[in-house]
Amino acid sequence: MNFSDNPAASGSAYFKTFKIFVFVVGFILASFYLLSSILLPVIISFTLYALIQPFTNYLVRKDFNHSLAIIFILILMLVFSILAISFALPQLLSQVTILKSKLPVIFNQFEHFLTIYSQKLGNFIGVDFNVSDILVSLLSQSSSLGNTLLVTISEQVFAITLSLILVPLLTYFILKDFKSLRNKMMNWLPNPSFELGWLIYYRVTSQLQLYIRGVMIQSFIMAVVASFGFYIIGLDIPVLIGSLAGLLNLIPYIGPLISILLAVLVASAMTPFDPSIIYMAVAVIIAAQVIDNIVVIPSVIANAVDLHPVLVIVGILIFGNLFGTIGVILAIPAMATAKIIYINLYADIYNASQNKYS
Amino acid sequence: MNNFFWNNIFKKTRSECELITEFWQQTPLFKNIPSRHIHSLSENMHVRNFQADEVVFRQGDQGAGAILVLEGQVKVYANNTLLSDLDKGDFFGEITLAETDKRTADACCIKKSRLVYFLKQDLEEWIEIEPHLGTIFLMNLASILAQRLHMANQLLSEKE
Repeated sequence: MNFSDNPAASGSAYFKTFKIFVFVVGFILASFYLLSSILLPVIISFTLYALIQPFTNYLVRKDFNHSLAIIFILILMLVFSILAISFALPQLLSQVTILKSKLPVIFNQFEHFLTIYSQKLGNFIGVDFNVSDILVSLLSQSSSLGNTLLVTISEQVFAITLSLILVPLLTYFILKDFKSLRNKMMNWLPNPSFELGWLIYYRVTSQLQLYIRGVMIQSFIMAVVASFGFYIIGLDIPVLIGSLAGLLNLIPYIGPLISILLAVLVASAMTPFDPSIIYMAVAVIIAAQVIDNIVVIPSVIANAVDLHPVLVIVGILIFGNLFGTIGVILAIPAMATAKIIYINLYADIYNASQNKYS
Repeated sequence: MNNFFWNNIFKKTRSECELITEFWQQTPLFKNIPSRHIHSLSENMHVRNFQADEVVFRQGDQGAGAILVLEGQVKVYANNTLLSDLDKGDFFGEITLAETDKRTADACCIKKSRLVYFLKQDLEEWIEIEPHLGTIFLMNLASILAQRLHMANQLLSEKE
């Protein structure tokens, strides 16, 4: 798009776009705030809507009744989820038990590393570190953190139960009635903004659908590749750490670093201690990232979002600070949405001001 | 139950939806498409009210779909030249069904009007569900656009 034809029009358009953009973004953030208690089930339901909709369309094409098609797909998903959980949960639980039993070893290994490297660093800069003091302080902090975590988890039980009930219900009604509800809300737009509103909605939803589907496939591929890699190198609990690496991949740049840290901790706790497995575990994550960047991202998420890496990192930190874990996952789609809204608003307002100036 | 509070105030009355179906059925866009399918599409179309002298769109605006005149009168101009004078049952702006791009003319309501928007997004969703009928619709659209191109070529050659 070339916006350099008329400087007066472009200046006025920037200012107007900014005003409307701030209003729209403010409205969206206020809605998020109002929905904050049920934000997680709403987001999961819309994600499921994006995933299930093509299948319901397929069944409707085959002369299924729309409501019946939705119920059929939801039941199918429920059965599939129960089967998958009943198959994977015992394996994962046994791996979690192994991890739990290994925690003291991981801690000892961590202490060992800390002692060696603090001595080396102390010798290098001429300062004497008292490792046991640091560890005592770390331990007291981590035990209070553990207590806080337990309280938080018990508080979250209600929210999780609510989500389990709300998600299938919300997904059903979104699949069934979302279009008519959406049409009614879009009818509130004034005549001059009606078509623009629909265009922005259309572009945002197309991009979000592409992004959600892409990210799901990407996480799954990452989990499989990392689990397989960890299994090959002989790392303990490969499926659990691989699955976590897949999930953490939802958080760009920062997620893979946490995956590396996790893999290193598990590798360092293995008996007998073998430093080569630490390097191999890091190599698996790096190899999985290379596959992700060279094969998966170009073919699965190409053009889904087009944001500068610095903007992505800053956005993740700000959203994480504002909305916690959900904020970290929502940061990229939210920024991509804001970008589409801004570009389209500006194009329209610029055109209107050019008409005025000409 | 006929309770005002629980009634859907946005729901189009049955007769209006049938009127929209009837009007679309008479246009070349929906040639050879069964009326029950046009009816189910019409149920999701968007009816908007315009005042006399209100602008529907300007040249260069981003367009989202074709527009049918349900009531009233609309005039379409390009560079201050009157291109067409549209009454109820006529449609315009169908280029954006093929390509969501800028409007190529100005449209303005002469009288108080009710216009029906058939959006490209609704068309795409319908094509996903009814690909066979969607193909017929797209052939009709291609034929209309080809006729427009032919007429534009003729006008240009007459000018030269």
